[in-house]
Amino acid sequence: MPRYELALILKAMQRPEVAATLKRTIEALMERGAVVRNLENLGERSLPYKISKHDQNHRRGGYFLVDFDGPPAIISTMMDHLGRDVDVIRPTFLKHPVSKTEECSGIIPVNYEDKLYTKKK
Amino acid sequence: MLLPHPPQARSRRCPASYIRFRARGQVHGGAQPEVGGAAMLLALSRCWAPLSRRPLPLLVPARGRKSRHDPPAKSKAGRLKVPPPVDPAELLVVSERYRQYRLVLQALRMEFKQEVMRKHREERLDKESGAEAMEEHLKLMAWNSAENERLRKKREERLRREEEELQDRKLQGALNRAKLMEDFLKQKEREVLQLQEEARNFITPENLDERIKECLDNPRNYNFAIDKEGRVVKRSVPS
Repeated sequence: MPRYELALILKAMQRPEVAATLKRTIEALMERGAVVRNLENLGERSLPYKISKHDQNHRRGGYFLVDFDGPPAIISTMMDHLGRDVDVIRPTFLKHPVSKTEECSGIIPVNYEDKLYTKKK
Repeated sequence: MLLPHPPQARSRRCPASYIRFRARGQVHGGAQPEVGGAAMLLALSRCWAPLSRRPLPLLVPARGRKSRHDPPAKSKAGRLKVPPPVDPAELLVVSERYRQYRLVLQALRMEFKQEVMRKHREERLDKESGAEAMEEHLKLMAWNSAENERLRKKREERLRREEEELQDRKLQGALNRAKLMEDFLKQKEREVLQLQEEARNFITPENLDERIKECLDNPRNYNFAIDKEGRVVKRSVPS
């Protein structure tokens, strides 16, 4: 099963409501056959721009990160489900980023002279 | 028997006026002026110089000025083409003479051919059946078999070496395959163990509430700042 990350932006709410929303979301995931590994809180912060969703304008939101393993078919259903949820401002499903195992060799020097003139084919 | 002379083929001479001439260089079929032929033929026959010296005629006899698509002339309306008359007795005699002549010539030719072939064969046999020829033949045969032996040994050596190399390569391939398989299995084992380790920390319906509480209590911040010297600053306040 491939590994996904759900970057969830929730409405700025009180703690019990946030807990309920998270519980709802995770239970929905588990219902559809996903295995949730970890849940992270990236804090409540102001959004980079004003987002209007479900007839409301949001300027602050809670950022949460859910990484789970699930079948690819649940993505579209989950997007529908979360789109209907009033408390969710923006759900985003991403593939879990694979960290590079090789050593970083630093900045590769670019030849600016070559880039100065366009190469005519 | 005396060799018969080949009999005369033509019994009638073709008069010169029947021959038509055309100017050299002119294509057959066009309308060309007819030149007086008979006088020129007589003049030619009186010439005694060699061919290269004789005055060559400018006009060359051609086969009529009409092409096959032109209609025949009115003067030829009721013309019946009859073949030249043949005297049957003369024909018989002439053909009989020709037959005998050719028979004799062919017999002679065959005879000579046979003689030549016999001479060749005897020469060849003499050359081959001599004592030294026998010796040479035996020597060559011995040399040939020696060469064959040598080459056979070489070939067998080569084949054996190739066989060995093939076996080596196969063995190496099998070893490699076994090693790869082993590595693969080990990798999978490691992955499975790692997953089992991680599985202990997964969220289950039972510890869902604790995990949510714990998550809300510990906000994490992944932001950091770095400069060109490589100094990292992790402390930042989310707005």
